[in-house]
Order: sequence, then structure tokens, then C-alpha cells
Amino acid sequence: MDIHLPLVQKGRSVRTQQSAANTQARKGMSPRAWRQARAFYLFISPWLLGFIFLSIVPLLVGLLISFSNYDGLNLMEVKSVGLRNYARALGDTETQYALQRTALWTLLNVPLWLAISFGLAMLMNQKVKGRGFFRTIFYLPSAVPVVAIVWIWKIFLDKNYGMVNGLLGLIRPGTALPWLTDYALQSLTAISLWTGLGSGMVIFLAGLQGIPTELEEAARIDGANGLQVWRHVTLPLMTPVLFFQLVLAIITSMQAYVVPMLISPGSGQNLSNLPPRGVYLYMIHTFQQIFVFRRFGYGIAMLWLLFILIIVLTFLVFRTQRYWVYYETETEEKKA
Amino acid sequence: MATRKITRREMLKLSGTAALGTLLAACATPASPPQAPASTSAPAVASGPVKISVMHDPKEFTEDMIKQFEAANPNIKLEVIKTDMTRFYAMAAAGNPPDVVRVQAPDLPQLLSRKLLKDLTPYFQGSSLLKPDDLAPANNYYKAKSPTQFGDGPIYGMVKDWSPDFTLFIYTAAFEEAKVPVPDATKSLTYDELADMGKKLTKVQGDKVIRWGFDLADGWIDRIWMNMLAEKGASLFSADYKKINLVNNDEARKAAKYFFDLQKANAMANPLNPSTDWIGADFTKGMVGIIQYGYWFSAMAESDVTKGKVVMLPSPTWAGKRRGPTMTATGTVISAKTKNPDAAWKLFEWYHGGAPSVERAKGGWGVPGLKSQYAMIPTDSPFQKQARAILDAELPYTNDVIQFNPYISGDTVYNLWNKYVEQALRGSLSFDDMLKKIEAEANTAIQEGADRIV
Repeated sequence: MDIHLPLVQKGRSVRTQQSAANTQARKGMSPRAWRQARAFYLFISPWLLGFIFLSIVPLLVGLLISFSNYDGLNLMEVKSVGLRNYARALGDTETQYALQRTALWTLLNVPLWLAISFGLAMLMNQKVKGRGFFRTIFYLPSAVPVVAIVWIWKIFLDKNYGMVNGLLGLIRPGTALPWLTDYALQSLTAISLWTGLGSGMVIFLAGLQGIPTELEEAARIDGANGLQVWRHVTLPLMTPVLFFQLVLAIITSMQAYVVPMLISPGSGQNLSNLPPRGVYLYMIHTFQQIFVFRRFGYGIAMLWLLFILIIVLTFLVFRTQRYWVYYETETEEKKA
Repeated sequence: MATRKITRREMLKLSGTAALGTLLAACATPASPPQAPASTSAPAVASGPVKISVMHDPKEFTEDMIKQFEAANPNIKLEVIKTDMTRFYAMAAAGNPPDVVRVQAPDLPQLLSRKLLKDLTPYFQGSSLLKPDDLAPANNYYKAKSPTQFGDGPIYGMVKDWSPDFTLFIYTAAFEEAKVPVPDATKSLTYDELADMGKKLTKVQGDKVIRWGFDLADGWIDRIWMNMLAEKGASLFSADYKKINLVNNDEARKAAKYFFDLQKANAMANPLNPSTDWIGADFTKGMVGIIQYGYWFSAMAESDVTKGKVVMLPSPTWAGKRRGPTMTATGTVISAKTKNPDAAWKLFEWYHGGAPSVERAKGGWGVPGLKSQYAMIPTDSPFQKQARAILDAELPYTNDVIQFNPYISGDTVYNLWNKYVEQALRGSLSFDDMLKKIEAEANTAIQEGADRIV
């Protein structure tokens, strides 16, 4: 019985017992490693729990639904349809059309977005007066809600009453170019660039500011001109950032939905409204299948197919990085 | 303390993993997870308050209404969920649908076929506020003998207000400008006359359309076809509603061609020449000559531009037989699975026959759901008086209903039309091939819907 022991001694005794138990539990780990591991799991647990219950579990449910005839309401009578939803998606001409338009849009949007946002970042990296002001101005469209931006663009680009045709009409009266219908893909690209350039620019700018100035100075001392410095110093050091941006841009473009829907006639009034055929993208087709035709199983199968496609594309892009992405650490490792 | 730097490559890998997580999340089930209201299972007679969940539009079921109702009924607490039919279906699938739900006419056959609606006939029969004889004709949309026999039978709900939606409004300045005589407001135009006027009223400058001659809510296009066909005793669907007939149905083909030709002539906004705004706004800006939108629009048809230049006209006819029902019939129903039917009815009765209904009737945004409230419709301005006269003359033709298909959503046919009409207008698809595609895809959807209903 330790009832008469002094308090300090009692505390010590309890701690000793706890310590022994902990030691038993973390057999094979140093106390420091154990503390680090505990801290690590404690810190990541909010995200991890959220990821498991709000992402992994719905994902598994989604996967199961993709093999069923679930329509959002027939939970009690739902039937398995095996791989039929996947086979149907692969054979559906509308799905193929939507995928083609998505591929075209990605091919148009991604290089332009990368080139222009990189170019803007280089301009904003110059030591010029009012640089902060211009950085803010260029970033501003990224901070404005996309609905407001698209609405303004629709007013600009309207065939009959739009400002752009109004200005063109000063040169050629009566000009009425159908920007939002016949040139929907180009208009979508312009609007998306407008909204997305700011965020792209900020990431490139961060990369540019991470390049050690002494490397560029050394190149100049060696006689390199501005273009040569950019080509042989700046660009190689920026390739990891370019690579990262490329992967993200492909994923984002393949999943585009909001802007094309917002440029559709009557957007905001009816979810079954469709954008012009030129921007009938994959996610729009999927949305229609799920929410208009109530084909939840089929629509989710389409989403899984898109996921697989994006994974394949990402994998291919990753495979190319050995040819064009330069990592400083890799060189150091090789030297070592 | 020794630290380990994360290399740029590792950083990119971590970022890639995060991006992958985001991407994976996109493949998860799209519907919001069923967030069932914390409904109580206690009966209405329980000592504690009963909670009733209401799925409604917050603009139509306001905070003030909630306070008023709860003050008058301290034993009932309301929980309002914004109307979202996808969420409703998810809640119903989870076995816990909202007690009272805002719906529209096209939803009803599908809801009835899934046994989600409570038969309210006994409640109506015992009510002093909502007497069956006092129900306005639009309430026929809430009476059904079966999912394919709406118009009469047990009562499943009620309109909050309604409107003979086929009625027209004309902008007289457009008529004067185009030197087209303003039609006699006491006579019903034919659709052919309407098309002729629409083409004449269309104002073009170069390649620009400055004013469309005739326009309507394009989401209603198949409802208009159905009403046109009903004048001739024909239907868009087979008798059992398991097929749509467009290709070998001359009447349906004519109705579709009517609108296609108007769009082709740019007399109506269309996918190649769309409006950036909704048609009501276009009309109030003087950009449309004739609009088919229904009596409710009289509350906003007069703007600074159109004031004193708007006239309401009766609904047009396709084959000489007057049929002018509503085609939306927005109202409420009570879920078959409600755990508190008496409390839900109390709310239903108050909303449709109590103070909120009086407020709506006096607001002028539609025709009241009860005939006894017709006298409350405002007739202060000359335009309101003119609109009221047309409404009164229209009422005898409002008893019919449009029978919607119980196996597909109300948007299905319109969505397919919307998808293929652009190609047909461009000439990349012939009109008949367009109909074939719409018919084939709609029939697939109908078959799937029929198979899913047990």
C-alpha cells in the first residue's frame, strides 16, 4: 500500500508505471521516435479521418453504385448490372463526342494557360515601378467569383447586344459574330484564361523568386545574353514548377464543368440547359446523365472512366519528365 | 536538432498526391449524402414539440411565415430545407423524406408511381379552410387515380398559386413599329396567326436580331406540344406511357416543326441565336414582341420600357379547341412516410388556406389555389384590370391537365430537344433525323424508368 507515501514520490511512482507500459507498447522504437510518430498521427488525424469518411467511403460507395442501376431513389430495389454501365459508356457516341471535345479543349487551354501565366510571371518578376500594383491587377480576376466573371463575359460577347460586336461594328457596321455559339470553344478558352491566369502566375512567380540570382549573374559574367540566361538557367530551373502546373492543368481541364455551363443560354434557370455543342464537354454529359436522366450508376461509371483516363495521362506525363524536367537534388545525388 | 529538408521532387510528389486525392473525390457519389432532418418519431399528441421538416423555396416559405406558424402552434417546430429534388430523392431513399415538400406538376406522376405521396382526401374532406369544392382547377394536377391518370381522383396536394400558362403578353410598341395591327384581346389567336405575327415582329439589323417576334420558356416546349396534341385528342406518348411517339406521329411532328421553323427564322431565341437573359427580362427590355408565359407574369410585365404598352391575350389554339391549363402547378404535397401526418396537415392547411395564402392572393403573382380567394387578386392599375378580364375569360378552359410521363423527369424531352435542335438548325442533322434521335433516347430513358419502378 502506498497510501502514506509523499505526493511527489507517489507521482513519480505513477509516471514510472506509465513509462514502463509505454515502453512495452513501443517496443523497438526509441522514445524520441515514438513521440514523433505520436505527434505525426495526432497532427494528421483531422485530415486523415476526413479523408477516410468523406472521400474513401463515398468513393467505395460510388464504385459499388457504378455497377448498379441506381437512379437516386430505388435504393431498396437496386440491381447489379455488372460491367454494363462501363460497356455502355465506352460504346456511346455521345460520350465519345463529349470526350473528343474535352480533349480538344484541354489541348487548347493547357498550353495557352501555361505559356501566358509563365510569361506574365516573368514580367511581374522584373524590377519595375508599380510591380505590386500590376501583380494585384493580374491576380484580381482569380479572386472574383466565376459566376460574376462569366456573366460579364456573356454581356461582352453577346451576338446581338455585346460590346465586342459593338466595337467591331465601328469598323464594319452590322458585325454580329456568334462568339458564344459558333466560337464557343474559343470563348470558353478566353474566359477560362482570364479567370485562371492569376493563380497560375502566382505559382510561377514563387518558382522564379526561388531561383538563386548568383546563377543568373554567373551566366551573365560568362557572356550569356538575356535570352541565353533564360534558356539555359531560368527555364531548366523552372521545369519542376512547369511540370507540376502541367499535371494540374490537365486534371482541371479534363474536369471542366462550371464555365461551359455558365456560358450556356439560359444558364441559372434550368439545370437541363445545355451549352453550345462545341463545348459539350465530358463532365456536362455526365451531369446530364445523372441529374436529368437519373442514371446515377451510369454517370458514376463515366466518372470512374474519366478518373482512369486522367491517371493514365498523368502517368504518361510523369514518364516524360526524365527528358525535360531538371531537378537540382538529382544532380547532387548523382554527384554524391 | 537535425532536420531533414524536403527535396523539390518530394514536394512535387506530395502535391501530386494531394491533387490525386482531390481527383478521386470527384468520382464519389455526386448527390449530397442523405442528410435526414432530425425528425422526431413522437406522435402529434406527445408532450414535447413535434418537428416538421419542410422542403421549400425560402422565398416562398419565409422566416416570417415560420415564426407566425410556430407562434400559433407552439407544439410544432419547423425545419426548412431548401428545395432540391435530388436531395429529396436521397432523403426518400434513406427512408426519411421531408414531411411537406414543394413540387411541380411534372414531378407528380413519378412521385405517385414511387408511392411517395400521401393521400390527403380525408383531410380535405374534414377541413373548414380547404374545401374540395373550393379548389381552383389547377388543383386537378394533384388529383390522380393512378400515375398515368391525373385530373381526377384522390387528392395528393395543392397548388400554392397558379396561372393559365399558355396566355400571351404583347408589347404594343413592337406592333406599331412593325405596322402589325394589335390583335383583339377578346379573341383567341391560332398558333399559325401567332407564328405569322412573330415573324413580322422580328427586327433584324444586319446579322443581329434586335427583337424576337415571339418567345416562350424553352424548358416548357414539350409541355406545349402535349397541350397542342391534346386539342386533337392525340398524345406524345403511348397509352401506357412506355413509349414516346414522334417519328410516326404526324401531330407530334407538326408541333415540333412549328417551333423548329420559328427558331430557324430567328423569330424566336434559339441555340444559334440565344439570349443572354431569361425571356421575362427580355420582354421587359422591349426585346420580344409576344411572350407566352402565363398570367403570373402580369405582376412584372410592365417595366419602365413597357409600361402602358403591354396587353394580355388569351391562350392560343392549335386546332380550334380551347385548352388553357397551367403547366407548372407549383404546390406542396405531404410525404407518404411522414411520421406526423396531423402536424404536417396543420402546416399544409395553414399555408394553403391561412394567412400566407391570403398574402399570396393579394400579391398578384398568380391565381389563388382557392376559388374563394379570386376576389383578392389586385386590379388597381388599368393593366391589372385588363389582365383580370382576360383571366376571367380564360378560367373555363383551365380544367384540363397535361399528363406527364411517370417514368422520366420533366426535363428529359426538353433536354434532348435542346441537344439536337442546334445540330438541326445548323443543317448537320435533318429535322426528321433529329426527331428519330430524340425519340430513341427518350424511349431508352422511359424504358429504364419503367424497369426501375417495382
